[in-house]
Amino acid sequence: MSSNGFVMSAHEVRKRFGRLEVLKGVSLEVKRGEVVCVIGPSGSGKTTFIRCIHHLEKIDGGRIEVNGHLIGYREQNGKLIEDSERSIARQRAEIGMVFQRFNLFPHKTALENVIEAPVQVRGVPKRQAIQQAEELLRRVGLADKRDVYPGKLSGGQQQRVAIARALAMRPALMLFDEPTSALDPEVIGEVLDVMKELALEGMTMIVVTHEMGFAREAADRVVMMDDGRIIEEGTPEHFFREPREERTKQFLSKILV
Amino acid sequence: MLAAFEWHILWQRIFHPDHVFVLALWRTIYISVAAQVFGVLLGLIAALMRMSKIWPLRVLSGLYVLVFRGTPVIVQIFFVYFGANLLFGFNLIPRTANFGLFQLDGAAFAGIVALSINEGAYMREIIRAGIDAIDRGQMEAARSLGMHYRLAMRRIVLPQAARVIVPPLGNEFNNMLKTSSLIFFIGVTELFGDAEIRYSTTFKPVEYFTAVAFWYLVLTTIWSVIQAQIERKLSVSERGEEPSFRERVFQAWAPVAAWGRGAR
Repeated sequence: MSSNGFVMSAHEVRKRFGRLEVLKGVSLEVKRGEVVCVIGPSGSGKTTFIRCIHHLEKIDGGRIEVNGHLIGYREQNGKLIEDSERSIARQRAEIGMVFQRFNLFPHKTALENVIEAPVQVRGVPKRQAIQQAEELLRRVGLADKRDVYPGKLSGGQQQRVAIARALAMRPALMLFDEPTSALDPEVIGEVLDVMKELALEGMTMIVVTHEMGFAREAADRVVMMDDGRIIEEGTPEHFFREPREERTKQFLSKILV
Repeated sequence: MLAAFEWHILWQRIFHPDHVFVLALWRTIYISVAAQVFGVLLGLIAALMRMSKIWPLRVLSGLYVLVFRGTPVIVQIFFVYFGANLLFGFNLIPRTANFGLFQLDGAAFAGIVALSINEGAYMREIIRAGIDAIDRGQMEAARSLGMHYRLAMRRIVLPQAARVIVPPLGNEFNNMLKTSSLIFFIGVTELFGDAEIRYSTTFKPVEYFTAVAFWYLVLTTIWSVIQAQIERKLSVSERGEEPSFRERVFQAWAPVAAWGRGAR
């Protein structure tokens, strides 16, 4: 647990791709056990933001801390210098990430996908890792698919394996990058159910999503991003009843059909 | 003036190969295999250098491909075998190379070195294309789990790239079996060299070269069966049915079958 009580705190994060400024000073703090949904139109910078938390993107300004540790950089004489590859890898191991396109390893079975990082990165004995992986696959409802390759799983099943794979590292924080956007409508529910359960168990989560139903049921807080900034923040109820900004109202009217 | 084709020579070369011939056949095999193995290793190193953050390594990798893909193998073979002696006055390649467990004739050793270096340049391009073919999300997912670059490369990216690499790699080895005949010109008596020597003493080129062509065909056919086997192993998770041994032999002869169908 960090000194300031936040699992994740981002301060004035800036990011540009060439001349395009994607993040124009984003600040967000997430407490232990909190579930925060990030919504906003495409191109608003929400995916870039959570990729920065995982240091999959370098940042051009500001700072991000997870569990009180600066992510991707170390401080030297008041300047931020990019950290060594190995220590960035160590930090990433503490943060789980679930991708829009699952990114399961196609040459490994569901079980092998889940045990890969614990065994290779943490050096967990294989038998112990397998036990833990079987437990995780049971939790996401896929105990019977343990020896199946991703190519033979549906999108919803693949995404649930991907969640189990991220959980296997026992992360302090889980990031979800539009986890249901690439899924067929009929399997979205099964993924959201797993995520809701995770939220109930007290996992700290930041979820980029357009699923307002999920936000209403599971989120403690919703953050609306537009044009590289957070423009509105509040409880899910706030967003359903009385969104303040015109831009938010517009956006919600489009996704809440 | 058409001299009579002496079938008995062909017959004898194919069905009753003598000891000298078997030794030549063996040389072709081990030289090709060794050169291919080291070629793949060199290609892998060069492909990884090309993706390095350190620019001199990238430049070196580029120069390597430029030079060794851009000049004839036979010239490279001559340079490796005679080059150091003629330029600097010392022998780079010893008369016999001693590897403890076994000894290797200096010329054969030079041949392996030259063919490996040449092959590495082609393999770099093949391996690079294989790595590029893997979705970037794979590297990202691996790193998001806390794997560092080398671990992610070794465990996640390269095993997947291997599937893309094996078919063209098979082609390369097929070529290697035949290209290795060039080292006859630095005095290694391999398959082609053996035929060359026999013909020069008997003046029966057609018989001996037909026989040697047959043996190259045997080698390449065996190889295509092995290659099909490897490809099947690698894609076991993707395909369901696997072809039988007989079908694989037939597949290797598919061009002949296609030609037969076309003629009808």
